[in-house]
This record gives sequence, structure tokens and C-alpha cells, in this order.
Amino acid sequence: MKKFLATLLAIVSVLALSACGKDDGLTMWCIATKSDSNRHSYEAAIADMQKKYPDTKLNWEAYENNAYKEKIKAAVSGNNMPDIFFTWSCAFLGDFVKEDKVYCLDEVYAEFKDKLPEKMCKNTTYNGKKYGVPLTMNIVGLFANMDILKEVGYDDVPKTFEDLMTCCEKIKAAGKIPFGCAGKPDDTWCVTEYLESIIEKSVGAKTLDDIFMNGQTWDNQDVAKAVDLFQDMIKKGYFDPNGISLGNDEVKQNFMDGKYAFYMNGTWNCADFAKKEGLNVKVAEFPVINADKAELGQLIGGPSDTLAVAKSAKNAKETAKYTFELGQLICKYGYLDGCGLPAWTVDYDVSKINALTQSVAKIVTDSNYMVLFGDTAMPAAEAGKYLEQVKGVYGCTVDGATFIANLKKDIR
Amino acid sequence: MKRKKTDGITIFLFLLPALLLFVAILVAPLISSGFNSFFKWNGIGNKEFLGWKNYKSLFDKSQIPFWHSVRNAMLLAGLSVFIQLPLALFLALLLGRGIKGERFFLSVNFLPVLISTVVIGQLWLKIFHPEGLVNALLLKIGYLKDPLNVPQWLGEGKGLLLYSCFIPMLWQYVGYHMLLMYAGVKSVPTELREAAKIDGATDAQVDWHIVIPSMKQIIKVSVIFAVTGSLKSYDLIAIIAGINSNEAAVPSTLLKRHMSLRMEYGLGSAIAVLLIILCFACSIAIGAIFKERD
Amino acid sequence: MAKQKGFNPADYQVRKTNKAMAVFTWIVLVIWAIFNLYPLYWMFSFSLKDNQQILHTNKFGIPDGWPSKWRWKNYAEATDTGDFVRMFTNSIVITLATIVITVLAAMMASYAITRIRWRFSETMNKIFMLGITIPIQASLIPVYLVLSEAKMLNTYIALIIPYSAFSLAMALLICNGFMTQIPKELDEAAYIDGCGRGRVFFQVILPLMKPAVATCGIYTFLQCWNELMFSQTFMNGDMMTLPAGMQQLFGSHTTDWGTIGAALSIATFPTVIAYIMFSRRIQDSFIAGAVKG
Repeated sequence: MKKFLATLLAIVSVLALSACGKDDGLTMWCIATKSDSNRHSYEAAIADMQKKYPDTKLNWEAYENNAYKEKIKAAVSGNNMPDIFFTWSCAFLGDFVKEDKVYCLDEVYAEFKDKLPEKMCKNTTYNGKKYGVPLTMNIVGLFANMDILKEVGYDDVPKTFEDLMTCCEKIKAAGKIPFGCAGKPDDTWCVTEYLESIIEKSVGAKTLDDIFMNGQTWDNQDVAKAVDLFQDMIKKGYFDPNGISLGNDEVKQNFMDGKYAFYMNGTWNCADFAKKEGLNVKVAEFPVINADKAELGQLIGGPSDTLAVAKSAKNAKETAKYTFELGQLICKYGYLDGCGLPAWTVDYDVSKINALTQSVAKIVTDSNYMVLFGDTAMPAAEAGKYLEQVKGVYGCTVDGATFIANLKKDIR
Repeated sequence: MKRKKTDGITIFLFLLPALLLFVAILVAPLISSGFNSFFKWNGIGNKEFLGWKNYKSLFDKSQIPFWHSVRNAMLLAGLSVFIQLPLALFLALLLGRGIKGERFFLSVNFLPVLISTVVIGQLWLKIFHPEGLVNALLLKIGYLKDPLNVPQWLGEGKGLLLYSCFIPMLWQYVGYHMLLMYAGVKSVPTELREAAKIDGATDAQVDWHIVIPSMKQIIKVSVIFAVTGSLKSYDLIAIIAGINSNEAAVPSTLLKRHMSLRMEYGLGSAIAVLLIILCFACSIAIGAIFKERD
Repeated sequence: MAKQKGFNPADYQVRKTNKAMAVFTWIVLVIWAIFNLYPLYWMFSFSLKDNQQILHTNKFGIPDGWPSKWRWKNYAEATDTGDFVRMFTNSIVITLATIVITVLAAMMASYAITRIRWRFSETMNKIFMLGITIPIQASLIPVYLVLSEAKMLNTYIALIIPYSAFSLAMALLICNGFMTQIPKELDEAAYIDGCGRGRVFFQVILPLMKPAVATCGIYTFLQCWNELMFSQTFMNGDMMTLPAGMQQLFGSHTTDWGTIGAALSIATFPTVIAYIMFSRRIQDSFIAGAVKG
């Protein structure tokens, strides 16, 4: 019994010690974990900020993506938010704004409007008020391993859809796999990178945008046709059959190891591809499928990575100013590192940025319509139902007609 | 029996620590779950009263694969009771006979139990990986011919994912039940065994007629552990299949999916309530089955 | 430690041993042992390989080029990403505290339920037993909100209290099993000697419950040591327990099999070594418990 009590006492004293938290400076939560490609841009930006404001101490912590979503939601509902937090635009931040937990940035934005174009704030503007500081932005790109394409006689990424399909056929005949796409249930967003591009280039950007964001019905025969087209590609064996058992990291690694000719994914991958030695990659826009409705320059993507300020933040206005400056720096270093494209105006030398990111920058400059990733654009519950149907499409258990019928029923 | 007036207070004092824990962490959240299950609530905003709508949507197959998840959990419980436990019993009986290296086998079999489920999950992910251990072995022994066309142990909708989750789950806890049952086997008085042996009984007969009947209490505990453990299973399925998997969904992963990913706390709470009722029904059933055999 | 009175493994040596049967038994046990050990061996072996070996040239064997080419670098990479000492410390403190609280609370409750006769003792027990069936996930958000309100997130208490509550029912079940086996005459005699309930519990019952402490302790250990969801949600940064910290680490190294293998090994071997050191005691407690219980 004495031993028991002694142990208990020892533990209680440890607890007492651990319970004392530190409570000075600003707090920030983000998802730039040590292995995240954005890590360096955060570290560099924060170092700059510490130099500029040596009196303001920033305590920041990074969490793994999925764990973070839960953590921030729980913190919002528990009124336990950090002063500055990373968030995704549209529906994710929108839920917090609706609950009046986010500090409105309109007043402070005025100081930064020369450097931050208004249109970049579109996805974090609710009822005409701005709530988010955008960082980098990304689009979906069609990455091609040029060594494999050369083997089957292509010097450039196919420009038309027909040519792309011919190319796939040749790659398959040469014993290589055209596409790699992760299909594990928790990585369904990878499938949307393909599917959304195919739908957009079939039905047109405006129609897709209206379905995602503006309450249009999913009951659209062109969408069904696009889904069937995607499924045809799967059935023809253009996709790695192992993909369904793999996560995105594994598929990406396979692409970098030269296993696939094409990989469609976010342009945040540019830095990693550029860094990998012996990998000869080009990036292009997905070709138009139905020229009557879609055209080149219609992309999937847009500013999503955002910093926001909690309404509960200490000295919210000062914190907001700090956040804008921090966001601008993260954006700058992120762009220089090739992790994405800048949402902020560029006033620095960009000649050292990798060629891949520069070609993405060109695609974006030439673009005329961007539709945000569907799962970011929709509220969480809808996004879940949407992803579930997309998963069914990739597993070939749901065809185009069922896809639109189910989504019409589940969403609208 | 001597009775004291202070008994009431004593009873209360003795129950107090357990009651405090129980009420604060189990009962109160349960009541709030029960309450929330009638609302539409995204966890941060206003609650909107829905009545029974959350429950109705759980019973509607086309909306949420809740029945499928219950079926999976029951299947796991069944496999656990009819494969894992007999295997554990079998091993315990073999070990109980006093084999050479008894201690070694005992220790080795219990080993997986001590390893974190996160580690087990990651390990089996690598084992079932398309290029992992299982497929490599199958290719090596010539069962599979084409390395580009291999079974997708981890692929949703290929009919294997559920078992890829169940195998490690069953494997990990065989040792636990084995150790429990081994204790039961060893508790049979030596004289009883010896006497039976002298009467000419074989080892198997001794096991069947003397050892197993004396282990009822332990087998009952094992069955309860196995069944409720199966109904609550979460970690390994979340790690191996992911919480968005429908094929390998169990009520807990479904609950987590609606609660955390889709912010449908009301619906999640309804799942929690049904799950608790289900678990409760199962333990009553187990109790009844064992009572009947008394 | 209770020695195994009355059964010496030698007593079990079957007199008219059937040789074929013995060989068969042994083969079955060896096969099962391999099933248990091979994944561990495989994990350790791939922690010293590079991806090329793991995926293509040397899937099953001992890592190439002993010892100079074994990739100890994988371990450096793994420890670089995660502070294992800290994670272990957190897990150990939380688990130990949980065991102490759970066992004490369960013993006391079990005493009140099984050894004092009162009207609702059976009902009370049934209510506690409901705890076995309540999935931990159901309490996540409500408990989080309470802890957050109390500013207790990211402290050890934030996990110790819920873990104790969730381990309680099973511990109580085990304690009841043991407690009912203790002859009632023992307390009767003590009451006649004029002892109060408290003294009977602490001086008569508790010393007899040592085997139950071991069993409950082991069970509780398993329950908390492995818990992932609460730890992930309630703890940040350097307060994370081993499972949560590991899961985060895996998220960032999915494709470096070697580094993952190294991290898995680091997380596993201290437990395994501790187990090898104490395995006899752990098993003996189980056995003694069952013999008495």
C-alpha cells in the first residue's frame, strides 16, 4: 500500500508540473509538418518575422493534415482556438465564419490591397467581408514523364484528347502504365484530380462551378458521359491496377521512380519533381474533350491555403496585421521553393524558381476560369457524399448514370 | 451477519471513485450523445431539431452503410469466437500438457499483444501492400504468375479488404486469450489429471472432459472480451482500410467518419447510441448463454 | 510473487507419452511461433534495408552487406523526425497513472458490490458493466469540450481520466471474479474481531487481491498503451503519446519503407525487451490469478 501511495504521489507531482502551460506571445497552428514540402517556407517566413518583430513571440505547431482538421474543429467548438490558424478556403473556413469565430480582416486588408489582388480573396470572402489571408495557390496539372513519352515517339505532352488516348495505347503496348492514381478510401481526393478535370473539359468550367458552388443540380447528362469516359480509361487498363491499394504518397513515389507516364495531381508537387534527379517531367493542362462546351484555359484549382485570425485572438487587429505580413512571406518563400503559385503580387526575383513551377505559372496566366477543388468547395457533409461516389467510380461500382442519380439524391 | 447503520455511507464511499469516473466520462457524454442524436449539428453552430430523422437515415441502406458495418462487426465477433478463441484454447491446451519450451512458446505467443496497434497496422499494411510480403510469397511459390496482376488486398471493392483488416486483428489477440486460457488449463489440479490418466484417459480426453469444463469462467471472460472488442474495433480498420472505406466499415469507423470528417455530430451520436445498444444486447445474450449452461 | 504451488510443469510429463503426438504438438507450436515472430523479424530486417532491397532485390532475407552496408541511417532519419524518448515518457507516465487509478477504483467498487450485501448491488454492477460496451469514440467530443472548458487539454490528466474511466469496467469485471473467490468467512471473522469495512478492505482483502492487480494492470496497460484517437485529439506536440506520435510520423514517411521500419522497431523493442525481462512475472501473475480465481 505504501508503494502504491508513493507512486501515486510521484505521479501527481509530475502532473502538477506538466499542467503549467506557457502563456505569452502569439499561437499558430498549421499543417506544415517537418516532412511537408511547405515546411521550409513557414520556417523562413517565421524567422523573418521574428527578426522584424523581436518582441512578438510566435509559438507555432504543425499537425498532420487529417488530424489537424479535427483538431481545429474541436478547438473552434471548444472556444480554444489559437490566435492564427491555417484553414482551407470556401466551406471549411465558412463554417467558422458562420459561427462568428473568425476575425474580419476588411479593416486591415486596406493596408495590403496593393500587394494582394482582390480576386485572390474571393474564396475567403463571405457576405462581402474578407476573413482569410491567402498563401500560395495550386491547380491540377497533367504531369508527364518525358522519358517514357519519348520511348513511344512523343516529344511533347499530347495536346488533344484523342492524341492523349492514342499515346496511352502506345504506352500500354510498350508495357508501361499510362496513369497512376491513388485509390485508398482515405485518398479519394486523388481520383477527383482526374475526374474533375475530365468533367470540366467535357461540360465547361461555368457549369461545373455552378454545380460545386452555386446550387446547380448534379442531374446533368454531360457529367454522366464524362464519368463514363473516365471509367472507360480505367477499364482499358490505362491506370495502374495497384493504384486502388495505394495512398497518394506511394503513387507519387512510383511516378518519380518512372513507373507511370502521367500523373495528375496538384501543382504543389512541382518542387519535389524538379528536385528529383534523372526525372524529366513536363506539366500541361488537361486537353479539351468537348470543344463545344469547354476550352483551354479552364482549370481546376485556385487559392485555398489560407491563414485566418481567431476572433478570440489577443489584440486581434495587431495580430491580423502580423498575419498579413506573415502570409505574404510564406507565399513568397513557398513560390520560390516551388510549392505553389503566389496569391500575392510578385516583387522579387523569380528566375531561380524551377522550370516546372514556371510553366505552371504560365498556364495560370493564360487561364480564364478556375473551378476550386470540389471537396474544398463543398461543405464537409456534401464533400463526404461526393467523395464516396467518386470512390465508387474509381472502383467501377458506380457508372455515370448512377453517379449523377446518387448525387442528385444526396446533394441536389 | 452483523449489520451497521453506517453501511450506506461506506458503500457510497467505496463506490465513489468508480462512480465519479463512470459518470463524468461515460454517462454524461452518453446523455449528451443521446440528446444530440435528435439534432442536425455541425459541432460548432446552432442545433436544428430533426426528431428521428438521423435514426431513419441509418436504417436506410441507400444512404449510410450502417447495417453493413454492423454486419462486419458481427462477422468479426463471429470469427473471433469461432476461430480465434478455439485456436487460443487449442494452443493453451497443447501448452498446458507441459511441452518442452513451454515458457518460450507462451512468451512468443503473447508478444503481438504488447505491440502498439499503430505498429501492427503499419506492419500489416506493408505485408498486404501490392508489392509486399504476401504477394511476393505468392509469386515466389508460383501461385501467382504475373507481377502486374496481383490480388489487391488493400483495394476497396475487391472483396479482400475486410479480411486484410480482420486477419491482423484476430492474429494479434490470439496470444491474449491463449494466456488467459492457459491460466485456466493450469488451474486444473494435477491430481485430477493424474487420476484420469491412471484410468487410461488420453490427453485429448482429459482436455475435453476435465480441463475445458473447469474453465467456464475464463472462457466466458474471453468471449465477452472478444465480442465487445470486435463490436468496438476501430484502430486497425482505421489504419489499414481508412475510415472512408465502406467495404471494411464497422460502426466505430462510420461514427468517426460522420463525426469528424463530415461534421455530422447528430448522425454520429445516433450511431454511437445504436452501437451502445447493440453492444449491450450482445453482452446480455452472452450472459444468458453462459447462465443456461450452468 | 505467488509461486505456482502444486503444479510443477514436470508433473505434467505424460507418463505413457505418445511420441507422434508430442512431435505433432511441437510442430504446431513451432509453426504458430513463426507466425508470431516472422512479422517482427521482417520489420526489423527491413528497417536496415533501402527501398530497392525491400521492394525488389531482397524482400525476405537478411539485409545486404553485413555489417558495413546495413542502413543504420534509417534509424537516424526516424529519430530525427520523432522524439521517441519523450513519446515513451508520456506513454509510460499516462499508463502507470491510469493503472493505479483504475485498479484502486475498481477494487473499492468491487468490494462494495461483491462483499457488502445491499439491495442494489447487482443493479449497480450491471450498470458499471455497461461501461465495457461503450465505445470510446462516443465520448470524444463531449469530453473534449469539458476538458477544453477546464483548460486541461494537453496535460497528462486529459488522458489519464478518460483512460481510467474506460478501463474501469473491465478491471471491475476481473476484480469481481477474484473477489467472489475469497471466502466470506474471512471478512466475517474480521468483523467479529471488531474491524470496520475500511480496515477489512485494506488489510484483509487487498493483500489477497495481488493477482487481480496484475491482471487488471496488464489489461489496463494494453488498453491505454495502444489508444490512438483520444491521444491524437487531446495532445499536441511533445505531449503526444507513442501511438499518436508514430501515426504522425508515418504520415510523413509513407514511401521510405526503411525509415518506417526503423521507427516501428524503435517503438517496439523497448516494450519487447521489458516484456522479455518480466515475461515470467506477467505470466505467473496470470496463472496464479486463475488458480485462485
